[in-house]
This record gives sequence, C-alpha cells and structure tokens, in this order.
Amino acid sequence: MKTRALAAAGVAVALLAAACGGGGDSGGQAVAPPAEASGNIVLSGWGSSPAETALLKQVVADFEQKYPKVKVNYQPVSGDYPTAMLAKFSARKPPDVFYLDPNFAQDWIKQQLLEPLDGYIAKTSFDTSKFVPQLVDEFKGQKDGKTYGLPKDWSPLAMFTNTALLGQAGVSPPKTWDELTAAARKIQVPGGKPICLSPDWARALAFVYQNGGSYFNDDKTQVTLDSAATKEALSWYVGLVRDGLAATPDKLGSGWCGEALGKGKAAIVFEGNWLVPAMHDQYPNVKYEIQPLVAGKQPANLAFTNAYGMAADSKNKSAAWALIQYLNGPDGMKVWTSKGLALPSRTDVAPQPGLEVFADQADDSRPWQFPAGFSSVLTVMGNEITSAMQGKQSVDDLVAKVSTAATQALAKSR
Amino acid sequence: MPRARAGWSQRRKEALVGYAFVLVPMSVFAAFYLFPMLYAAYISVFDWGVRGKIEYLGLANYRELLDDGLFWRAVRNTLQYTAEVVVLQTPLGLALALIVNGKIRARTFFRAAFYFPSIASSAAITAIFIFILSSDGLVNRVLGWFGLPADTSWFGDDRFALHAIVGLNAWTTSGTIMLFYLAALQSIPTDVYEAAAIDRASRWRTFWKVTMPLLKPAHFFVLAVTIIGALKVFDQAYIVSRGEGGPNYSTLTIVLELFRAAINDLRFGYAAAMGVVLFAFLFTVTLLQRRLFGNSEAS
Repeated sequence: MKTRALAAAGVAVALLAAACGGGGDSGGQAVAPPAEASGNIVLSGWGSSPAETALLKQVVADFEQKYPKVKVNYQPVSGDYPTAMLAKFSARKPPDVFYLDPNFAQDWIKQQLLEPLDGYIAKTSFDTSKFVPQLVDEFKGQKDGKTYGLPKDWSPLAMFTNTALLGQAGVSPPKTWDELTAAARKIQVPGGKPICLSPDWARALAFVYQNGGSYFNDDKTQVTLDSAATKEALSWYVGLVRDGLAATPDKLGSGWCGEALGKGKAAIVFEGNWLVPAMHDQYPNVKYEIQPLVAGKQPANLAFTNAYGMAADSKNKSAAWALIQYLNGPDGMKVWTSKGLALPSRTDVAPQPGLEVFADQADDSRPWQFPAGFSSVLTVMGNEITSAMQGKQSVDDLVAKVSTAATQALAKSR
Repeated sequence: MPRARAGWSQRRKEALVGYAFVLVPMSVFAAFYLFPMLYAAYISVFDWGVRGKIEYLGLANYRELLDDGLFWRAVRNTLQYTAEVVVLQTPLGLALALIVNGKIRARTFFRAAFYFPSIASSAAITAIFIFILSSDGLVNRVLGWFGLPADTSWFGDDRFALHAIVGLNAWTTSGTIMLFYLAALQSIPTDVYEAAAIDRASRWRTFWKVTMPLLKPAHFFVLAVTIIGALKVFDQAYIVSRGEGGPNYSTLTIVLELFRAAINDLRFGYAAAMGVVLFAFLFTVTLLQRRLFGNSEAS
C-alpha cells in the first residue's frame, strides 16, 4: 500500500516535470531527485556484440534494483541508427535515453531534439568534473554552450602489432614515424602489406595534429587545414601507401584494418579499444601487442566517444535523468567497463589492466567531432582522401578541396 | 419519361458500383502515393527539420541545387548508370525470354532459375557481390587463372565501382524483364508466325519483322519500368559505399544524395527539392517515350 502511494506521488512528480518541460528548457523544471523518480522509460542504442549487450543489461538491472520505481525498457535499434532515431523523433515518440554520436549531436541539438542536462546536473549536484573534460565538451551546444549528453565511454587510437610477423622480421614495435617506415621496410607479410591504413580522416587527422597541423582555429570560426604541417603529415600518411609499405583495407580483402590484422594481412594497424573485443571474438589465435600511436613532433591523438542523451520529447525526464546519472556515475560505469570492452570516460573509474595504453592518452586526445552541418563535408573528406591514397590526386588538391567544402559548411552553419 | 429516368438511374447505379470497386485502391493510391508526392512538393519550399517547418524559403532550395557540386555529380552518375543498365539488361532479358519461350528441355526450371535473382533481396545480393568482387574475391581468382591482373578492388576503384553495380543490377533485374517479355511473346498469335513460315521467312527475318514489331507495347513498358527503376538506384550504392557514394564520388546517385541530405544533414526541405526534380525528370522521360512509341500500348 505504501509503495503504491509512493509510486503515485512519483507519477505526479513526473507528470509535473513533463508539464513544465515544454520548450526544451529545463531551467524552471521540477526535477525529482533520482531516488524519487518513477515510471517507465525506454533506453535505446545501436546494437553491438552480445557481450556488450549483456553488460548493458546488467548495468540496467543494477539500476532497477537501486531505483525500484523506475522500469527501463531496453530497445536496441538494429540497422541504420540515425535513420531509425529520426523517424522516432519526427513521430514525437523518441526513446527517453539513447546513445548519442558526437558527429550527429550538434545537428540534433540545432533541431531541438535533445534535452539540455544542465538543470538536472545542477539540481542533483552531479559532478561532471570527474569526466575527461574534452569528452564532455563534445556534447555542449555550439551556440548555447549547454550540456546535451554525458560521455558513456571513449577510446583514442593505438598501434596494434602482429607479434609473429614483427618477430620474424626481427623488429621491435616502432615508436616514431621514421621507425615505422624503417620497420615496414623489413616486415614481410605474405599476401598482404606491412601496414594497413584506412582512407579515413579519423586516422589521418591524429597524425596531422602530431605534426602541428590543425583543422580549425581555436574558436572554430576558420578552417586552417591549408598549412605546411598538415600537408607534410598527409603526404607521409598517403606516401606510406604510394611507397607500397601500406595498403587500404579493401586492397587487403578486408572491410576495415582490424579485420586485416586478424586475417594476418597486415602487421601494423591503427585502431582504438574497439579492436580488442573484435580480436577476442573473431581471431582469438592471433597474437598481438598494443602500443602507443607512433609519435610525431608533438603528442596528439584523436578521442572517439559516444554519450547518453535525453530526448526533449521524453515524457518522464526525471526517470530519464535518474538513469543517465546512474549509467554515467562511478558505479554504473565501473560495471559497464568491467570487461574491458569499453574505456571509462571518468577519471575516477580505473580502466581494466592492459588498457592503460589507451587511458594514458586522455590529456593529448582531441575530439573527433565536427560542427553542425558538416555531414556533407565528411562525405567529401572520405572521398578525397581515398582518391589521394589511390594516387589519383595530390595532397595539395586533397587539402584544397576539403578546405573549400569545410569553409562553405562553416559559413552556412553560423 | 419514367423509362428515361430508369435508364439514367441504371447508368448511375453502374457508375456507383464502378466507383465502389475502385474506391479502395484509389484511396490507398491517394494516401500513400498522391499525398506524399504533393506533400514533398510542399516541404521543398521550406527549411524543414526533424520537428517540422522551420522557415519558408520560396525557391531557395531549388536555386541551391543548381550549384550543388555533389548533386550534379550524382545526376551525372545516375544518368550514366541508367544508360548502361538499360542497354545491358533489356537485350539480356529479351534473350532470356526468347530462350525460355522456345521448346527447350526443362523449360520450367530455366524460367524459375532466370527469374530467381529478381526475387532475392537486393541487399543480400549486394553483400555477396562485395565478397565476390573484393580484391581477394572470386572474380580476381578467376582472372588470375588467365594471368590477368588479379588484385583489383572492384568496388574500391572509381573506374569500376559504378560499372560493377551496373553489372550486378543488370543480372538481378534481367529476370523480371524476361518475365515481361515472356508474357508479351505468349500473347502473339501463332497465325502470324504460320503466315511468315508460309512466306518462307528466315528465323532471323521473322524475329526482326514479326516478333520485334509485335513486342512494341512490351518495349515501351519495359523501357519505362527499367529507366524509372534505374534512375531510382539507391540500395546497392548505399551498401557498397557505406553511404558515402565513394570511391571518389563514383557511386553517388541522386537518391543516395537525397537520403544523405535528409538523414545526415537533416535538411528535409532540400532533400524534397531533389525528389521533386527527380520526379519532374522521370515524368518528362516517360512522356517522351510515350510520344516516341506512339499510343500502340493501348492496342
């Protein structure tokens, strides 16, 4: 009887919260403390490996035990995630809490699909200072500076080397660009190449940053790609392929470089923490080592992350916040990262042993994220770098074309 | 007078029954075809987001289309694709139809076998082709036997990617075209062939002078359907290039670019404008074809 009354009170609070929640501004909204939240909410994300799904379900079960009045309905989206989510947003029936990719985030914020979390963070005294700071910044609105998501995990890039192939060539894992080139000249990979390089700025840009190049100026008002440092780094990256020391994954009969490492078609690849579970599941017999990214002139890396966000159209924002603060809190994140499938985005949660090589990069990693309206620029970037790596255009042309597209998009987005 | 009224009401009754019969399909047509089409035209004059209308733009979306490099690249790719696929698959479909229309052994088996690719999911077929055409795939293995260069990544090279999609689509769709032609071939009365035989016309001459002209309505239908289908190409390009239209924009098609503008850029108004342009183009092509082939399809 007592629990029922409590539940009813909880529903009333939630309804009140929803009633005040119009306009997408949580400033004046009544936020129930997480302990009082109640009702049903839907949690969605893209599908992933069975191991990852099992972990998420475990965290959600822990949450429901701690907050027994909230019932979480986990509905993973199979297939094309943004397409499916946009249909739900359009129908005004989005999931309450969902995975948020930083490269959609700014566009989704602009379209007022997301609920700003600042009000909830303030009222429940949720400490965001424990997160890797640049990861939190990726989910701040580029115009209003409000927080629209909290990073659920992250990964920088690292260098994965095939132990056997390097051993046969008698080389130790390279530490610098020059050592990488020298090592690649010695390594023999039957039916493959020493290095697999993705025709992808999500790899090349790390080396551009290492060389002192940049994509934007500090306040992201100008595209600054057209520099000698950028061109030098890209020439080196593209040159590895042109010199026959590296190949793109399609030339190695692989969908991505992780697959090329697993199939033994490349001895060195640059990927993130996501390759660890993939190797474990699909290529358990391939011995590999994880080393820091080969170093250039200055330490730099790319940070890949995703967040939990809340829908502006959520009907139960108090319960949604209760879930987000638990998933992103120290307890939830500890369980979520306990198998090493993901790297904690909180500095007060220790990474699994062996993953320090990723965690140590936190200070030097810059977000892999672009402003609103950059999706077509990403298409241009992917196509142009592929052309350059296939030797169909110079690095100067690549930089010029990407700069033009990025400058146009930047002008449009303000 | 009473008789006339009775006759009129009889006619009206018949008309009502007629309308009743078409009511269901017509309302489905109106709700799922006509309305979305008109609505897309309406959306195309707005800046339209996920939550609806943002701002009235007039013809600004269309003006922007005029100097959108990616869109024109997509138009060029789509036209090239359409030309190639129609030229390839129409004769192939006709040839298959002629084969299975003749008296051959296991005719039913071949009819089913040729038609089979058409009913398989295009996504599944494309996924299999990615393996077959990969740099260490089946096609390269076979080329290797003949000492030809055998490390081409067919979908990864801008010289081949679009043609590879043409090839796979011509193969899949030829079964459907075979079916259309087969139906048309069987509706040709046998007496015209008997007359040709009496005149001692060769098989070659019979084909060109009797079969081909009598297939004219089928030609119109097949061309209209294949051209419209080809101009709408999307799924194969999307899967092969993972939505990017690459390499080097070679597989960027109009509908892929439209999808990208809507789903990635969240510019539904702009995407709708592309849709309207595509529709206008398709409509013109179909009208031109009608003119070209006369009204013989009515006979």
